[in-house]
Amino acid sequence: MIKYLLIRLASALPTLLGMTIVAFAIVSLAPGDPIEQELRAMGIVPTIEDLNALRAKYGLDKPFIYRYFDWMSRAVQFDFGTSIATGRTVINELKLHFPATFILAISALFGTILISLALGIAAVASNQNIASFLRALTVVLVSIPSFWLALILIYIFVFYFGWARLVGDGSLRDLILPVVTLSLGSGAALGRVVYERIRAEMCEDYVRLAIAKGVSPAKILLRHITPRIIGPLATAWTNALGALLGGAVIVESIFGWPGLGQLILQAISQRDFPIIQAYLVFMGLGFFVTSLIADIIVIITDPQLRRKNSHE
Amino acid sequence: MNNFSAKKANPLQKFIFNLKKHSGLSIGIIILFAFALISLSPLFITYIEPNKMDLLARLSPPSSEHILGTDHLGRDVLSRFVAAVPVSLGAALFAMVVILAISLPWGLIAGIMGGRVDAIMMRMADIIMAFPTLIFALAIIGFMGASLEASIIGVAAAWWPSNARMIRALVLAAKEREFVRAARLAGASDLRIVFRHIMPQILPPLTVIISLETASVLLALSSLSFLGIGAQPPTPEWGAMLNEARPFFNQALHMLLVPGLAVTLAVLGLNLVGEGLRHLLDQREPYKW
Repeated sequence: MIKYLLIRLASALPTLLGMTIVAFAIVSLAPGDPIEQELRAMGIVPTIEDLNALRAKYGLDKPFIYRYFDWMSRAVQFDFGTSIATGRTVINELKLHFPATFILAISALFGTILISLALGIAAVASNQNIASFLRALTVVLVSIPSFWLALILIYIFVFYFGWARLVGDGSLRDLILPVVTLSLGSGAALGRVVYERIRAEMCEDYVRLAIAKGVSPAKILLRHITPRIIGPLATAWTNALGALLGGAVIVESIFGWPGLGQLILQAISQRDFPIIQAYLVFMGLGFFVTSLIADIIVIITDPQLRRKNSHE
Repeated sequence: MNNFSAKKANPLQKFIFNLKKHSGLSIGIIILFAFALISLSPLFITYIEPNKMDLLARLSPPSSEHILGTDHLGRDVLSRFVAAVPVSLGAALFAMVVILAISLPWGLIAGIMGGRVDAIMMRMADIIMAFPTLIFALAIIGFMGASLEASIIGVAAAWWPSNARMIRALVLAAKEREFVRAARLAGASDLRIVFRHIMPQILPPLTVIISLETASVLLALSSLSFLGIGAQPPTPEWGAMLNEARPFFNQALHMLLVPGLAVTLAVLGLNLVGEGLRHLLDQREPYKW
């Protein structure tokens, strides 16, 4: 088992390195010169000498590889430069907005897991008619864009019933609607995965044997099927975190939730490259580390690997 | 239709019988067909010009003059909805073509070659997949500047690796079939094996993937337009229309409902077709307790 863990960790390193190269390359290959654009936005028409001096100041005149290593050596110390728009350090901006996004994403992940289990198991356990209704509901929920769902929820719960407010102060109560918006769609999508996993296992001979032996359905589900599907499901749930982090941008923008999504949208409109780059690295790393942890948990809990380990 | 006639049915009756059996698939096909008709309808029906403003008729509810009402600038919502069909769906289809243009050769080559080539190609795909997809697209748009073209490029760049992975998995499964091995032993060239033996096998499951992926690409593109970093005003696009509706939807509910329903139905149609085809291809039945 330790061998598997080491292999998984070792295989993560090149990906990690590749991610930093990609994140850096996107900036370097971006069309347009950020310095010239920034100066023009401030109403200054720069001379060639000014431009060259500023490029040299930000190190933009050096070759790609050199700039990459320079950037990396600062990035590992969490130095991503300063925001072009606000003049504050990028890491401070990220720190300021990170907690809100973290709380939102984690709550939405729990919501997703709950909804997917409820929908999936309900679809397996119920009769033909209810199961096909649940399948139809799932397809509809997956198809509703989150931004529309959010606006409809706002219309119903804020304007019509007045149960929630639109401009919150970041308290837990204000978290309910954003989390529901985020987790309904991905919960439904994963509910389908849960359903299909269980259904696929039910086609296997060992389930047939258990049914023939007279084992109760609940016990077959918990004792026979669950250990075999929990690994793949854990992987699917953590993969959903990637979609949730992306979806958080939309939901934060609609509900005015003060997270990283607000920061990045502002940065895109102001072409604030250091912020965008750091955001990409940060989110990529966060998602990557979560997937890695999930994989390690799967390896540790895999009954087949565990058995092999105890025999060795 | 009783059993007897179902057995002896002519092709048309059989077709209708199949439609009833696969209701999801048929609803999906009907929805997509309807969108195709709507996008062609300006050839036969004259709509109000989609960008024509009428500031006296701002935010007016549905009436005989404006069947789906007007928006905050007094533009006709129906004609904007119709004009947005080729923009929204066209952008999604175009993005999907770009994604396939990269992922199909990528997955095919990796799957057929195997070994070190496969390992390197898949590692490159993994690196991009390690980023959350929408966030990767956001970053690319951020560096290119917000526009519909940038959002298509961003989405395509973020979406192709997962497609390449799925295509590679299909190729690997297809490659191991007996008759493909037999063809290889009989001395068939790589190209012949790809086009005569592997492509026909992966085409049906690939159709499922394309349909489902187009749905998710459409969702992503309209989300980006909604955030104001995809299609720019005054381009009629469903996500952008919803973005414009945000300050007003409390007063004009039709501005919220029309573009939202349009995206939902289009995505639903694509999902139903994908799911229906998948169901058609996978006929395994579970043991019942």
